[in-house]
Amino acid sequence: MKELDLLKKDWKKNSDSFEQISEKEIYKMIHKKSSSIVKWILIISILEVCFWTFSNLFINTDDLLQKMNHPEIVLAMEILTYFNYVVVLVFIVIFYKNYKTISTTVATKSLMGAILRTRKTVQYYVWYNLGMLVLITILSYFIAFVYNPDMAFFREQLAESGKTMFFTVGILFLIILGILGLFWCIYRLLYGTLLRRLYSNYKELKKIDF
Amino acid sequence: MSENLEQSFVAQLQANQNIIHKICRLYTAGEDAHKDLFQEITIQLWKAYPKFRGDSKFSTWTYRVALNTAITLYRKTKRTISTIEYESHQHFVKDVDYNYEEEEQIKLMYKAVYQLNDIEKALVFMYLEDKDYQEIAETLGISEVNARVKMNRIKGKLKKILNP
Repeated sequence: MKELDLLKKDWKKNSDSFEQISEKEIYKMIHKKSSSIVKWILIISILEVCFWTFSNLFINTDDLLQKMNHPEIVLAMEILTYFNYVVVLVFIVIFYKNYKTISTTVATKSLMGAILRTRKTVQYYVWYNLGMLVLITILSYFIAFVYNPDMAFFREQLAESGKTMFFTVGILFLIILGILGLFWCIYRLLYGTLLRRLYSNYKELKKIDF
Repeated sequence: MSENLEQSFVAQLQANQNIIHKICRLYTAGEDAHKDLFQEITIQLWKAYPKFRGDSKFSTWTYRVALNTAITLYRKTKRTISTIEYESHQHFVKDVDYNYEEEEQIKLMYKAVYQLNDIEKALVFMYLEDKDYQEIAETLGISEVNARVKMNRIKGKLKKILNP
């Protein structure tokens, strides 16, 4: 291609026409903070894990459980709590391992793969938490209806009328849908802007190397 | 990190800074963005430097880290490049055998290259820098054959942009 050769000639001619940056300025630069997407992913991921881990700690169900006086439910809740700790621990180890594989000295495709893998780890953790949230919401409603003495009146109502039953289940379903929708939107917005370019470049590389 | 490491890094980077400038020229528009990307690349190079063993040349290593930063890590604020910015961004050297027609063609070529996507720009950049296909392929993490095929396609794309 003739034009490309012409460009090459010009490119070489201009390759030392840049204003040179002094050693002093470079010294200053290396002590500044990076604003790369990897750094942002790390910050957001840490915030996410903190949010989900602490939100589990703050949901206080002890009073309700005591009131119901069913030790088997208390035990089930305790097991669930410990299971959650194990999941958090396993997640942090996997996240750290993936994060460590991010290196700028490897091939572009591998670097992109490593970043996306790290990001996916957090995504799975969030999906796990959302899943748990949905599961616990459904279970608590169920338990509340069946065991909570305060609900006796409501239970009778439900048994009598199919319409009330229908509405209750409907509202529960809508609440769950609303929570999932809200998180989906936040995620699209947050990671959409952060990772759009990375995704499209990764796709392009994969397309070349089919 | 030790003082010595810092010193040797800064000296080597200072001597090789044109590699970074050239990448900034291709991937950014305007002086501010150029400086911003230059700084991010410098930070990433410095972060990776302790692992730089010297079994490859400092320049070769710089190419890889700098390109990776520009394509993958850098958060671009402006996605498209306006004509005004483009014009002010060019530093054309007017020499004795100044050929108007040729200069016009070169200008159009730069404009066409700016319309390529990030990956295509990387291939063109390494082509302009006389890198062989093996190095291009290794840097991007694709096969050599596919790098050649892609480069041919880019040439076709550039032709199409020039003669729509």
